[in-house]
Amino acid sequence: MKKILLVTGIIFVLGLIIFIPGKKLAREHVNLKTAVSDHPLLCTNCHLHIHKRSPFARFDQADYLSPLNLAVSNDGKLVYVAAQDGNALLVADVEKGKIIRKIPVGNRPHSVIVDKAGEKAYVSNQWSDNVSVIDLENFKITDTLSTGNGPAGLSLSSDEKSLYVVNSYSSDLTVIDLESGIEIKRLSTGNNPTGATLSPDGSDLYVTSRRADIAHYGEPLVSHLTVMNDKSKRIKTYLGMESAYLMENVAFTPSGDMAVVTLIRPKNMVPSIQVERGFMMTHGIGIIEQKEDGRIIQLLTDEPNAYYPDPFDIVITPDGERAFISNSGVNFITVVDIDSVRALIAESNPEMLKLWPDHLGISSRYVIQRIPTGANPKGLALSPDGRTLYVAEHLEDRIAVISTDKMETVKTIDLGGPGRITVTRKGRRLLNNAGRTFQNQYSCYTCHPDEHEDGLVYNMASKDMGRNITNTQSLRDISDTPPFKWNGKNQTVFKQDGMRFSTVLTRSEPFSYPDLDAISSYILTGIKYPPNLGFNPSGKLTEAQKRGKKVFERTKDNLGNVIPENNRCITCHPAPFYTNLKQVDVKTLAASDDSILFDTPHLNNIYASAPYLHDGRAITLEEIWTIYGKEDKHGLVGDMTKNQLNDLIEYLKSLRSPDYEGNSSKIHKASIHP
Amino acid sequence: MRLKTVLFATGIVSLILSGVLLVSCGKKSLEGIIIITQASSSPVSPDYITGKSWRYVPESHLYAIDPGKPGKTPESLTEDFFSACSPEISYDGKYLLFAAQKNQDDPWQIMEMNLERRKITQVTSGAENSVDPAYLPGGRLVFSRTIANDSLKSGHTLFTCNTDGTNLKRITFNPHSYFASSVLKDGRVIAIGRQVFPQEETPAMMVLRPDGTKAELFCQSNDGMEFFSRGRETSDGKIILIESDNNTGNRRNLVSINYNRPLHTMSNLTSDITGDFYSVFPVDPGRFLVSYRTSETENYALFNFDPVKRVLGEQIYKSADNSILEAVVVRKQERPKKLPSEVDAGVKTGLLFCQNIAITGLSSPENIYSLPVADRIEVIGVDSSLGVVKVEQDGSFYLKVTADMPFKIKTLDAGGNTLNGPGSWIWLRPNERRGCTGCHEDQEMVPANRVALAVKNQPVAVPVHISGVKEKQVELE
Amino acid sequence: MRVILQKFIKLPFTPNQIKMKKVIRNQYLRITSIAVIILGTLSMGFRHNDKNDGDSKASPSSAPAVKSEKLPGVTGELPPVPVYGKWRNFTTKDGLPSDKAYCVRIDGDRVFAGTHDGLAVYQNGKWKTYTTKDGLAHNGVVSVDVSELTGDVWIGTLGGLSRWSAGKFETFNQFNSGMPNDLVYMVICVGKDVWVATGGGAGHYDTFTKEWEIFTEKNAPMHEPWTYGVSAGDGKIYIAAWGGGVIEYNTKTKQFRDYTDPDGFMEIDLQPNDGIIHDITTATSWADGILWVSTYFGMSRYDGKYWKGYFDHDSGLASNFINFLRAEGPIVFACSDKGLSSTNGESWVTYKKNDNNENGVAILTNGKEKKEIPLSPCIAHNFIIGVDGEDGVLWVATSKGVSRGEIIK
Repeated sequence: MKKILLVTGIIFVLGLIIFIPGKKLAREHVNLKTAVSDHPLLCTNCHLHIHKRSPFARFDQADYLSPLNLAVSNDGKLVYVAAQDGNALLVADVEKGKIIRKIPVGNRPHSVIVDKAGEKAYVSNQWSDNVSVIDLENFKITDTLSTGNGPAGLSLSSDEKSLYVVNSYSSDLTVIDLESGIEIKRLSTGNNPTGATLSPDGSDLYVTSRRADIAHYGEPLVSHLTVMNDKSKRIKTYLGMESAYLMENVAFTPSGDMAVVTLIRPKNMVPSIQVERGFMMTHGIGIIEQKEDGRIIQLLTDEPNAYYPDPFDIVITPDGERAFISNSGVNFITVVDIDSVRALIAESNPEMLKLWPDHLGISSRYVIQRIPTGANPKGLALSPDGRTLYVAEHLEDRIAVISTDKMETVKTIDLGGPGRITVTRKGRRLLNNAGRTFQNQYSCYTCHPDEHEDGLVYNMASKDMGRNITNTQSLRDISDTPPFKWNGKNQTVFKQDGMRFSTVLTRSEPFSYPDLDAISSYILTGIKYPPNLGFNPSGKLTEAQKRGKKVFERTKDNLGNVIPENNRCITCHPAPFYTNLKQVDVKTLAASDDSILFDTPHLNNIYASAPYLHDGRAITLEEIWTIYGKEDKHGLVGDMTKNQLNDLIEYLKSLRSPDYEGNSSKIHKASIHP
Repeated sequence: MRLKTVLFATGIVSLILSGVLLVSCGKKSLEGIIIITQASSSPVSPDYITGKSWRYVPESHLYAIDPGKPGKTPESLTEDFFSACSPEISYDGKYLLFAAQKNQDDPWQIMEMNLERRKITQVTSGAENSVDPAYLPGGRLVFSRTIANDSLKSGHTLFTCNTDGTNLKRITFNPHSYFASSVLKDGRVIAIGRQVFPQEETPAMMVLRPDGTKAELFCQSNDGMEFFSRGRETSDGKIILIESDNNTGNRRNLVSINYNRPLHTMSNLTSDITGDFYSVFPVDPGRFLVSYRTSETENYALFNFDPVKRVLGEQIYKSADNSILEAVVVRKQERPKKLPSEVDAGVKTGLLFCQNIAITGLSSPENIYSLPVADRIEVIGVDSSLGVVKVEQDGSFYLKVTADMPFKIKTLDAGGNTLNGPGSWIWLRPNERRGCTGCHEDQEMVPANRVALAVKNQPVAVPVHISGVKEKQVELE
Repeated sequence: MRVILQKFIKLPFTPNQIKMKKVIRNQYLRITSIAVIILGTLSMGFRHNDKNDGDSKASPSSAPAVKSEKLPGVTGELPPVPVYGKWRNFTTKDGLPSDKAYCVRIDGDRVFAGTHDGLAVYQNGKWKTYTTKDGLAHNGVVSVDVSELTGDVWIGTLGGLSRWSAGKFETFNQFNSGMPNDLVYMVICVGKDVWVATGGGAGHYDTFTKEWEIFTEKNAPMHEPWTYGVSAGDGKIYIAAWGGGVIEYNTKTKQFRDYTDPDGFMEIDLQPNDGIIHDITTATSWADGILWVSTYFGMSRYDGKYWKGYFDHDSGLASNFINFLRAEGPIVFACSDKGLSSTNGESWVTYKKNDNNENGVAILTNGKEKKEIPLSPCIAHNFIIGVDGEDGVLWVATSKGVSRGEIIK
């Protein structure tokens, strides 16, 4: 007994000796990182989950599948699933309710389509710049077709002799002759295109675009639908969708009288002073009448006190009565009655049609149901008879099977992902869900689609309205480039997404600390850059890029004069992240900005982040210097020839994540050749 | 030797400590118990200014009844009080808030009872009456209170405070009287509010954030009707409350409103039922508790109600001599969101932005964009005009207004003639930034995505004399 | 071209450029006179064939002189030069935005006319105008070409390059893109590539990779960056460079070759058919294996081996001052300040309008033979800058409107 008391006492005293000063130090450390004084003092909260290169990181890894898009076999017995994180095409047997095949494809498969005969499937590999052709008899890859950059949406031509591939990163449409397997042309599309659907009569291909045309703050926001004639394989027209963006997908009514796109109507030019009354984001559909002088009409699917953000996919039943829309930000499928939409349009005069896109109440006329789903519903597919709707529950690794009669989930198909939800995965779900925003008006994803940025410039009115407009910044691979925000005021993601974030942005309850830890973990470890296959596929620079690198690293101007160190590109933008993590003044402060220094942005994948500078004033990389760098304060460029500037820009476009350096061949292998 | 003794002692202490920690103090749960308000009288028509006999029910008392043991005598919870009513259960199901007066002439105060120990603590104090408490998340509550020496006779104002009565804050600042507040799942407060100055208006259901910002209309009662009871939110997104029908001799119905679209979804659930309803409490989406009487000669009794079939269920409790006016069930409930606050006491003003004044309540969908744009607005205070402000070409204006000061706005043409308004009273909290799509517009409209001319310049200070105020700069982002 | 642009839009000439030209002329006059005497003596009595090895520069000694009128390397009869009549002229009265037309381009059932005040499109018998209000980069439209691959219309203007795709204009200029310069004198579409000749060099835009390449005196055999014309043929790009003759760029080997005037800047051709007529070239056009080059001092024909020069005094050419030319199959159309000429290399048809009325003549020249066919009406004006022909129809851009003619027997 004495011994027990003695030992207990020693342990207790030792405990106190370590505990008291240790706790004090830990408290100071955590307070500094989180900018709050009550974040729990548990080392594992952060240190297990926020260091992507730490040995602990593997404890937080799991091989998720993340289904994105679907296709149903012609007999309705099989569902083909593009598993974005699984780099595979999964074949699900509907009756058995399980996966019967897993076919490895390229990196980040995006979409899958099946030909009329049901013999071949085509899978777009967004991070491999190619399409896998799969024989559906033996489930083998028979061919790999090269495309433009970031292949996403797919469609076969009406005669099935050509394959149309939407290149989401290079903003164009590849036309592949399927007999030769060769790309015969590339047509210019809207900005960041994604979905592609052929009209029921096979005459036109509609291609959606997610980004609006890059424009200066204050100029009208317009995104373009691209319409290509199937016969001539030439662009027929670009349809401007005003005040809208993130048009993810498009569907036609079977009668072909309407094409319907999903869309978001952002309020980036309205001061962000409240969330109430749709002051930040609204979500809905765009209807393109398929007739001579057909109108484009937008309608919201939100309600006055409830928002249904991030509409992704849309399908219309074969009887043409209902449209199903996946609202990936709130885990719902919205059901729209098409005849009610027709009736509303028919009875509305032009002023009313101008009003409805900004009216939250009108959805009660045509939204007839909201069907709950698992986490982050994305791709949709209907069975041939239209009685079953399949939903890719992106962050659930599951397919929901919904009865379109009962309008409820009747069963689910587990794709065989890891059962557990890691902290990072939880963070990814949080980032993609609007539940933390007042009335679910928007998720992080809404302004950061694909965890990147939306190309818009916002009036974040943290103080006066109309001032301090800022260009959305990407969330890709930012763990090594603190501080955050254009003014660099947030030293960590914990602070960035903490109390102030909820006060001025989400205007709802802040993240709980476990949630904050999870979302920080995902942002800091889970968001990768796509490989820069467009400008730097192998790490081997082109001649122009090599010349540009010299210009980037130059210490003397063309006349041999030494360039002051603080005015050289390389000084503020050193590899591997191309930022020195410091705040500087490059004379880009606008009259409407408060007097601040700007955090030096990192430059990896900079080609994908137009517009440029803190307020997006530079539409292209060139404009940073040709129009806004005339004072030679943002690097010395005054002496450069146009050839040199072009070379410099070609080099900047080649910059990519250091994660790809040294293993570029691995990226290449992603493109599977049979 | 000494060290050894010390270590022995420490060991013993640590063992005792750990022992203490191991002892769990589990007490019987009151889960499922119904707490009712019982009174000998019930108001004929509510007084929206004084709240007399309506929110202050004389000689009312709270009782606990166990629905599992019918026939068991209810347990009196407030026998030490002259009157006690308006029970509310905390989200963890462990505490009870109510309004009460110790003696007949005492002011009413908010009380909180620990339901396990039946221990009552007084939350509010002072000479003013405090009634209608409701729990806010984060250990705070909202309630109605009279204002001493109230020049506007505004009746009752909403306040919030901690459950121990500290950190008392006023959150409404217009000449309205507010009663029967409750808290929505989104974290906002709804309450029945009625304008009392310059003239009385029909009571409406108002909504605002717990810091008093973003106050606006939530929904209005039907013509000839008046909101009567607290609104309560069900788990399936409905707000249920009692509406009294002045056309038919104060007949009271149970109505339901969709949270998602409150302005256009009110439906009467009891139109086919004769008799009156006094209050309602949602047990689950398929079952409500209601206090109901078949006629004015009867006392109110406690019944089940099926909102799907819209029929009364079995009677749960009836008192021979008294009316059962209110009922709440003791249980854990989903805690509403704890909303952050943009209020900064260091700032003396708030900012108001209107995007397009041409969009007004006068407009209909057919002519909404074709009304004449006002040339200017007049900001009107309680006692005098606070100034006239030119409206931008695009119909926008941007004001910096003294905080916590009620004001109205009316629109004028170039000749100074009134086009529209004045609208209802508005106030801005310190550092509040508030936006409107139009002027008394259809509240279901959202702003167009464009840069308004007004915010390209500094806001116009209203009234003019505060334009020189040096403001504290606040960085909230 | 620069002269025309001066006349039309008063494009500023820098005094240095004018000075430089004078210096070059005087200096070259002396040097080349001596050189010609020496070379003439050396070349007397012997000749050797130019192997065209792709990297040697065409020089007086390597280019054999053509003695006879008959074109060397041509066996049999050349296809006859068609005569165009039934001229119809269009001016602002007919819906053109301006009478000052800079270029014409036929695209199936529509015709593009670039004018001083915008792009005019003729379709179904009507002209429709597009200007900067519609998104055009600049209203001074000097060149138009249509991509056979995509159908996109590429428009070279005096303020940037526009891509007109299915009604949507997109502007490329020297500020927002890798474009060499905003004075786009010529644009052509070659498969997926777009080539421009600009005041700041030639530019190549790859519509697949979205990359711009610039060719100037810094990285190509040019005297200065000014380029006025560009054409394509046989896997090569032919750039008409101010003072640089013709720069040939092999798109496969990415090698340059330049063709300059052995007589330098002399305005007389001392040694006939020894190479390109003058280093100040205004346009190039390649068709049926023949490269045609226009200058302000005459026109040249190059079959890959032999050069042949044409002047107003020894051929049917309307004037030595040629603004632009375009070859359609075996026939080339030369736009001059004194009329429009067309030839197969041997026989000629030249169109000239009367000064005092709308009528004119087609002058048929074959060696010494000359014949005139009266035309009523004739082309709109004799100062011609643009031409395009297809399926027996010829469109002409003049300083007083646009003309349309059809082949007559």
